[in-house]
Order: sequence, then structure tokens, then C-alpha cells
Amino acid sequence: MRLLALGVDHRSAPAPVREALAFDGTKCTEGLDLLVRAFPDNEFVILSTCNRVEIYVAGSPEQVPETDALTDLLVKFHGVKSEFFSGHLVSYHDEGAIGHLFRVAASLESLVLGEGQILGQVRDAYQAATARKTVGPTFHTVFQNALRVGKLVRERTGMEQGKLSVASVAVDLAKDVFDSFADKTVLVIGAGKMGELTLQHLKALKPRQILVTNRDSERAERVAARWNGQVVPFDHLGQALITADLVISTTAAAEPVVTLEQYLRVQRARRNRLALILDIAIPRDFDPRIGELDQVMLYHVDDLRAQAEQNRLERQKSIDPALAIIERETAACFARLRHQHEAGVLLLQLGNHADQIRQRELATLFATRPDLTEADRDAVAHMAMRLQNQFLHNPRAAVRLAVAEPHHDHSQPHPVITFVRHIFGLGDRPQNSLKRL
Amino acid sequence: MIDRLSVLCFAGTYSLALLAELARFVVRSSVRWYLTAGLMALGWLVQTAFLANLALKNPLMPPVTSAFESVMVLSWIVALIGLYLMVRSPKPVAVGIFVLPLVIGLVIVAGWFAPRQSDWLQWGGTVAFWGTVHGIFLLGGAVFSCVAFFAGLMYLAQMRRLKGKRPSRFGLALPSLEQSERINRGSITLAFPLLTFGLLIGMVLSVAVRSQSNEAPAHALTWTDPKVLSALAMWLVFAVLLHARFRPAMRGKSVMVLTIVAFGFLVFTWVGVEALRLPTAHGAPKTPVRITRP
Repeated sequence: MRLLALGVDHRSAPAPVREALAFDGTKCTEGLDLLVRAFPDNEFVILSTCNRVEIYVAGSPEQVPETDALTDLLVKFHGVKSEFFSGHLVSYHDEGAIGHLFRVAASLESLVLGEGQILGQVRDAYQAATARKTVGPTFHTVFQNALRVGKLVRERTGMEQGKLSVASVAVDLAKDVFDSFADKTVLVIGAGKMGELTLQHLKALKPRQILVTNRDSERAERVAARWNGQVVPFDHLGQALITADLVISTTAAAEPVVTLEQYLRVQRARRNRLALILDIAIPRDFDPRIGELDQVMLYHVDDLRAQAEQNRLERQKSIDPALAIIERETAACFARLRHQHEAGVLLLQLGNHADQIRQRELATLFATRPDLTEADRDAVAHMAMRLQNQFLHNPRAAVRLAVAEPHHDHSQPHPVITFVRHIFGLGDRPQNSLKRL
Repeated sequence: MIDRLSVLCFAGTYSLALLAELARFVVRSSVRWYLTAGLMALGWLVQTAFLANLALKNPLMPPVTSAFESVMVLSWIVALIGLYLMVRSPKPVAVGIFVLPLVIGLVIVAGWFAPRQSDWLQWGGTVAFWGTVHGIFLLGGAVFSCVAFFAGLMYLAQMRRLKGKRPSRFGLALPSLEQSERINRGSITLAFPLLTFGLLIGMVLSVAVRSQSNEAPAHALTWTDPKVLSALAMWLVFAVLLHARFRPAMRGKSVMVLTIVAFGFLVFTWVGVEALRLPTAHGAPKTPVRITRP
């Protein structure tokens, strides 16, 4: 049994190469079908995201295609020259391929360390391949383990904790201040790019109302139309602040747009309700002293950036513990595959051995009893077959169960396998089985 | 002695649950959460058995006839609420860090400082009945005060983090400010009428008892009794708190601090007066002979 992972990612290849090799939409299904046709008796999974395109292959050492053969297939499928991408291809083999997939699922290989999407993308890739029946026992084990390890790493290291972008940090802050957003009003002051990006994230919280105000009313209308909001004339900013619970301010004003005295009046009119103000403007739109008011959380863009940076540092601290988990799990998964392979070989040997005995004994019986009719011979042969299956049922079940045990020491041959091999006189296990699955 | 050992048994289990909860700062596994919840549930079950045993000793009265029993039942209800919130909230939310110390504190106060005698039962009949109703109302008020107290603590902790512009620590998520504020407001609104009715019943009862207590007039409550003065002060703080809840200018931090003060008054009124051995006629027997429960 061999495993191969071949592909490009954000580190090895620029975006145009990744885009040219992408298997998006129906291309994934077509790609899987083509792979199975070109290299039968192998298992395939295609993982294609905006940051990586990878083909995972598993099969017997003779059947698994070489990287050159897969490169040729990619050339044929995507209609691009091999020189365009072959220098960017990266491959991993056997245990290395499993470790790589586990690191991908745990988002250690992601552009944004600890991002949560990749686990879902690995799951989708596995499910798509399962639906096309290009997954066999090897990849069922490997991908199910990858999904489990991805979750385990996140749970144990807190890798996905804390957001890394200013906009996502803003969303987390909003959730720390407010419980529900169905009754909240978001006010956007100005029409800066950063403000819109933050609004895009906050829109996912489904606020009751979005108000947009800007000195340039046309720009305000454009932003409001994009986000299904209402335009408020800039002269009515005070009134809008009274209504708003969450404020995003991104004007290019040289002086603060809202002073402490103005906001004190606003807060009195708001009956001192909780307010979150995200001042993303440079220079500031809100007097920093407003943040000292009891029920007001005022965050400047520098505060948001500092939190994002702190979160990034926290995530980096998680890398070593995550790698330790992955190393342990990779070794366990690889060993389990090895035992599965050993069990497969043993069951085949066991079946062949029993078949030989049955056929030999039937031949001896039929030679000594030539008077038996064809029907009698069939009945005896059928009974012998049933006896054989019934005798072998429990040993077979015990072997299958033994290799499925999660806590067995995979560095040693399983005692059940050794025992079955011994009592049925099947000899020692094949010497090369530990070297190459 | 055996009694205290039993109390120590579930107080110890709650303490182990608290240790498991505090381990959230270093242990990043969901097993820790299950251990905390399991230990808390175990502690609660042991406490349930203890209270059931207590109730069986006097099956005609609910176990709220002495400060010891009342505070013990209070800690039992607060533990149940905490367990419920723990199971309902996402695992990273640190409910246990706020609830468990409160539960342990109440158990310690009950077990070591609260008087265990309920001499007033000697009055019997109507007095005993209304005395029990008085206790139940106050217990209800105290339950909501406890909930308001830990919601206030959670609010202040979250507010401190947000004002300090610090990112949330791994495994130490807190409810949103709005949620803590809502729980606090709801609890204060429910606690106030319960405490008011409880105190009113107590006052009426005290007047009625004074008219009956010809045999032992010294055992009737007067307006200058420390328990009465403390209860009035507590009621006033709760009234200010309720008023503050509906005054926009006092929203937020001020109300939460006032909630903590009000809770302090409640604890002092309930067990502090007796624990400090201040001269009070609250819960005194009909005759000077003290009655001890079997």
C-alpha cells in the first residue's frame, strides 16, 4: 500500500497557478472520474480550495501513479502546459502524506493560521470522493482521522480562538457587548473601505436596522443601497447616534466628529443604554474620553489591530502543541493502516488456506466415492463450504475487530493477528509488511 | 460532629468541582468540563440526600425553620441553577467560576456560622405556619439575590476586560454585558417583592407574637432589635437598587456594585446577626427554655 499527496498551495505556487489547477464546481467530480479511469484500483480524493489544490492517492505500490503520470493528467484535464505549474508541485508520500493532510485539517498549513473553514473543506472533499465511490478503506481511515485530528487540535490548543482581522475582532466585540442583534441599530458614519468591510462582517449578525450617514449624500446612498440600509442626513448625526447601538465611524475628518460634550447629551437621550463605538478613522472621529463613560465601549482601529495581533501571537504559541498532537496521531493512523493491511493479507491467506483444504478433501472424497451423483456432490461441496465459512466466521470477526481497536499499541503486531496466524499454521507475517504498509 | 462531616462531604465535592473549573486556565480539554459538571452534580446529589434526611427528621415542616437549614437550601438551589446554566451555556463560558465559590461560601456560612436551633417552632400553630411562609418568601428573595449577585460579578468582569481592551482568555468566555444586565435586572425585580412580603409577614408575626408572649416578653422582637434594624437596612438597599434599575443614569456598573452591596446586607441580616452573637429575639422560643431539635 502506498499513499501520495500531490499539489500546490499558497506557499509553493502563486494565485494564477492555483487558479489554473483548481477543481471547482463540477470539475471536482469530472477530475475524480478521470483519475479513476486513468489509474484504476486506486483511491482518490481531490482537495481544492482558494489556497490549495491537492490530489490524494492510495493504492498498492504497483498501482499508485507516479507524480509524472499525475502531472500529465493535470495537463490534459486543465489544458495548461506542464512548465506552467510543475515547478510548483509539492508531493508527500506515505506517512508524510498523512501528516500533511492532518496539518492541513488542523489549519497549520492555512494562509491564516487557525482559520476554521479548512476543516469543512476537507470534509466536503472527502464526502465528494465518497459520493463518487473513489474512496476505499484506506482513505476512509485517513480522512476520518484527519477530521477528528483537526477538531482535536482546535479543542486542545484553542487555535481558532480570537480573530485575526480587524473586522472579525469587531464582530467578536459586538457579541461580547450585545446578546441579540435583532433589536439593534448599526450606524455607519462615513463611507470608508474599512468601515464597509467591518459592516460586511457585522451584517452577518442580522441587526434590525442599518443607518448610513456621510457628508457626501451620494456616497451615503451608494453604501446604504449596497447594505440594504437607510440614509440619514449628516446634519441629523446626533439623532442617529441616539438611535444607534453600534457605531462604525470611518470619516476622513481632520477633527473629531463627535466631542465628549455632544456624546454626553446623546447618551442621556439614549437613557444610558449600552453602546459600542468602533472608531476606524485616522485621525479619530470620537473624542477618546467618550470611552470612559460607563455604558460606552469605544474602540479605535489601533485597539482592534492590537487585539488581532495579540490573537495572532496566541495562535502561534499553539503551533508546537498542535504539531506534537499531529505527530502522535499520524504515527497512530499510519500504524493502523499497516495493521489493516496486515489483517487484509491474513484474511486472504486464511481464506485461501481453508479453500485449499476443502478442495483437497472434496477431491479425496469424490475419488473414493465415484458412485455419488452430481447432485450429491453438489450437496456435499455446499455443506463443506458452509462449514468452512462457519468455522472461519469468528476468527475473521476477531481479526477485523482487533485492528479497529483504537487503543492498541500499534508499534507491535496485534496479538490476535499473531494468534490466528499461529493456530491456523499460516506461518510468520510477511517481512515487508511493516516497511511498506 | 457527624453533621459537620456530612456538610464537609458535599462542600469538599463542590471544592473539587471549583478546582476542576479553575483548571480551565491550563487544561484545554472538554474532559475538564465534564469533570467539573460531574463533580458539581455529585456534590448536589449528596447535598440533596443531606437535605432530604434533614426534612425527614421533621416531616411536617419544610427545611427552612432555622438559619442553618435556610442557607443550606439556598446553596442547594443556587447550585442547581449554576448546574443548569453550566449545561445550557457553551463550554467556554466560565459560569462555574462565579457560581461555585458562592455555593461553597453559602455552605460554609450555613455549616459553621448559622444557628442550627429553631426554637420559635415551640410557638406552634399559626405562628409556626406563618413563620415558615416568612422563611420561604425570604428564601425565594435570597435565591434571586444570589442570581443577581453572580450576574453582577460577571458583568463587572466582562466590563473590566472590555474597558481594558484585552482579548478574551482561552476558555474564559463570559456572557455578553447585555445578557448579564438582563439577568441581573430580572432577578432584582423578582427578589424585591419576595423580600418585601417576607419581611412584612415577619413584622406582622412579630407584632402578633408580642401580644401573645406574656410568659416571656423579652423573647418578642422589638424595633430596636439588631435583626430588625439590619432587615430594614437591607430592604432599603434593595429598594434603592430597584429604583436604580429603572434610572437610566444609574445603569451599568453602579447598579452592579449596588447589587453586591445588597447581597452583603442580605447575608449579614440572615446569618451575620446570629454569627456575631448580637442580642436578638428573632426565632426565640415561647419560654426561656431552649429547645433543641432531635
